[in-house]
Amino acid sequence: MKRKSLAARVALPVVLSLGVALTAIAPAHAKEQLTVDLVNEPSSLDPHQQWNPDSYYVYRNIFDNMVTRDNDGQIVPQIATEWERLSDTEVVFTIRDDVTFHDGTPLTAEDVVYTVKRITDPEFGSPQLGQFNKIVNAEVTGDNQVTLTTDGAYPALMAQLVKLSIVPKHIASTMTSAEFNEAPVGSGPYVFENWDRGVSVTVIKNEEYWGDMGPFETVVFRGVPDAATRVADLQAGAADLVVTLNTDLAQQVESGGKGKVLTVNTERVAYFALNSALAPLDQPDLRKAIGYAIDREGIVEGLLGGYPQVVDQMLSPAHFGWAEGIEGFEYDPDKARELIAGLETAPEMEMGLATSPVFDQRVVQAIQQMLTDVGLNVAINTTDMATWLKDQQTSPEQAPMLTFSRWSCACQDPDGIMYPLLHSSSNWSRVTDTEIDALLDEARSELDEEKRADLYAQINRKAVENADILPLYQAAIIYGAADSLEWQPTSNESLFLNRMSWAE
Amino acid sequence: MSVFLLQRLGQALVAIFGVMTLVFFIQRLTGDPTYLLVPETATQADIEAMRRTLGLDQPLVVQYANYLWDMLRFDFGTSYVQNVPVIDIIASRLPYTLQLAAGALFVAFVIGLPVGLALALWREKTAAKLLMGVVLGAQSMPTFWSGILMIMVFGVWLGWLPPSGSGSFAHMIMPSIALGLLSMATYARIARSALLDEMSKDYVRSARARGVGTGRLVRKHLIRNSLIPVISISALEISQLLAGAVIVETVFAWPGLGQLTVQSVQSRDFVVVQGIVLLGALVTISVNLLADILYSVVDPRIRKGGRA
Repeated sequence: MKRKSLAARVALPVVLSLGVALTAIAPAHAKEQLTVDLVNEPSSLDPHQQWNPDSYYVYRNIFDNMVTRDNDGQIVPQIATEWERLSDTEVVFTIRDDVTFHDGTPLTAEDVVYTVKRITDPEFGSPQLGQFNKIVNAEVTGDNQVTLTTDGAYPALMAQLVKLSIVPKHIASTMTSAEFNEAPVGSGPYVFENWDRGVSVTVIKNEEYWGDMGPFETVVFRGVPDAATRVADLQAGAADLVVTLNTDLAQQVESGGKGKVLTVNTERVAYFALNSALAPLDQPDLRKAIGYAIDREGIVEGLLGGYPQVVDQMLSPAHFGWAEGIEGFEYDPDKARELIAGLETAPEMEMGLATSPVFDQRVVQAIQQMLTDVGLNVAINTTDMATWLKDQQTSPEQAPMLTFSRWSCACQDPDGIMYPLLHSSSNWSRVTDTEIDALLDEARSELDEEKRADLYAQINRKAVENADILPLYQAAIIYGAADSLEWQPTSNESLFLNRMSWAE
Repeated sequence: MSVFLLQRLGQALVAIFGVMTLVFFIQRLTGDPTYLLVPETATQADIEAMRRTLGLDQPLVVQYANYLWDMLRFDFGTSYVQNVPVIDIIASRLPYTLQLAAGALFVAFVIGLPVGLALALWREKTAAKLLMGVVLGAQSMPTFWSGILMIMVFGVWLGWLPPSGSGSFAHMIMPSIALGLLSMATYARIARSALLDEMSKDYVRSARARGVGTGRLVRKHLIRNSLIPVISISALEISQLLAGAVIVETVFAWPGLGQLTVQSVQSRDFVVVQGIVLLGALVTISVNLLADILYSVVDPRIRKGGRA
């Protein structure tokens, strides 16, 4: 008797939960909803705060930017419809007059001015301050007109404004950043609906959007840290788009029969930095020997699935200023050995190669092996990412001898990659060359695009000549997508939902 | 009694203070989180500005004093990365971890006990040896592997269960099993040895001599008596489960504290890690304190410092 009642007590909840379970699986895939698996949930949905892909994948759909890039990488109007340079330091922008924020309030020039002031206010403490602090003033100078004043001529201004998300003054100015982060209001194609902390962020279609309407009624961004789980989600139909796959998982998707791989070469340039401030790397011939010793084609084809593209300059074709005809070091181990044999000081000492688990260790180990093959003594020093960053951002005398890294300024402008890595005043740079410094400074304030591009080409030629730094390849980013999702990923690593669609 | 209680309470407070101090300094030994928070293109001035904003520019002793003062006022701080109060972040994650731990404990109990029983009763038979192999297998499989395997089989091939995430009972099944497997094996082994221990006792022999059948003997006497060590091991298992949750939650994208711990340690979000560790310490220490008190209620020797 007693046992029976226990069974009855257990049976009911079990049956009920199974019922819940089954109903939960059944409608997994309605076409109105797009589910995106990110690595982690966003850090912040206040677009002026923490700046990482998982955050901007989401908030770039909630907010419009000052300008944007089309799928070909050209800077095209968004909130600013046109712009005109008044002087070397002043640009006047015309602001769209038909944009409203999600709460129905019209977007005005005041909001643009507020946005600039907010992100450049040192008190606000935006991590993105360094990208915008060249803008020293913003003011309304007429109907729907905003004039931005820069600290000296600043040709990269437009490239930076691609990332400037316009926030509503009447909301953002009345609350703290933490509060705005909880309930972000923008003018973009998707409206913030709900953030289930640790689980997902949901956005819904902005029916009043002024531009291209999003194709999905609802979009859910989930945090799924394990890449293999993201692939399983895709194959099970629980996710329609998953980010950040490596080449092994990409192959798994391609051979799995369900889902497809979408890939694009980003503006990230992988490079090998040689610390010429330290012996024995102060000898140009040794640096050149390392250039000849590294088989970049082998790395790209053998380890990286053939997705990335080998580059010979510290730029990618996705950047302004990409020059044709710059030739780097072709893989030639015999020539490398020859150069090493002819050195004044034989490089017997151990050279440290700094790395962190964030970087593809297969590439790091391959490079170590290639350098060992030509008779060099290279030791891999692995630290966590924060330590790695700290060790890199120091004087050349204290920096590691060898570094494999990938660089993106997220601006597709050569200044954002070449200035930090080649100018002697930068923490990151291992190069001390007054000629390169002068050229970089000149390019930084040259407003004539042709002249500017030519300056960068000159710098890249010089860098190859002296083997100051070795460009390796333009890194690819790999997404997995449902078979029916149509989307062309772009170099700037954004997920613009209103540029996607379902295949008919 | 009250002196004993006060002593124990004092010890608990010292332990908590020790944990707080340790986690504070160990984290800061690992380096500076600022570099992870600013974009690569940040200048030295940007980095210093960020460090000032976070209060990391102050001397370590001042930071430590501020931390203790905040703790005294139950102010757990604001996450460096998410810019949200730590207490809110933990509060949103805790229910998920509790759910998962409960599910795992259920799996461990419901499978582990009968298995242990079977192992003890059939100890001479081949079936028991096979079963022991299965138990060992379940215990030895790393969860990051068994988890992915389950996802592939039940989530992708068969499509019975959602492969990851949370939100329904179905979502709970796989992570609970993955997390419960390890404890299941522990329970099975403990139950087996406790049962064997009981079976060798005199009352069992006399009962058998009186003609009591095995089934009745097991139901009426053996299970109850062998439950005592099983229950006391549960307290230990709960902290084991919380530790195991770190991997299971990451594999199944389960939004609990384990996943949060991994994310926060990786991004050096000191404040969040401090909050999680403090919570863990509080739970462990209170459970132990409770156990101590209960023991002393049950056993006067403990209460009187072993002089009885």
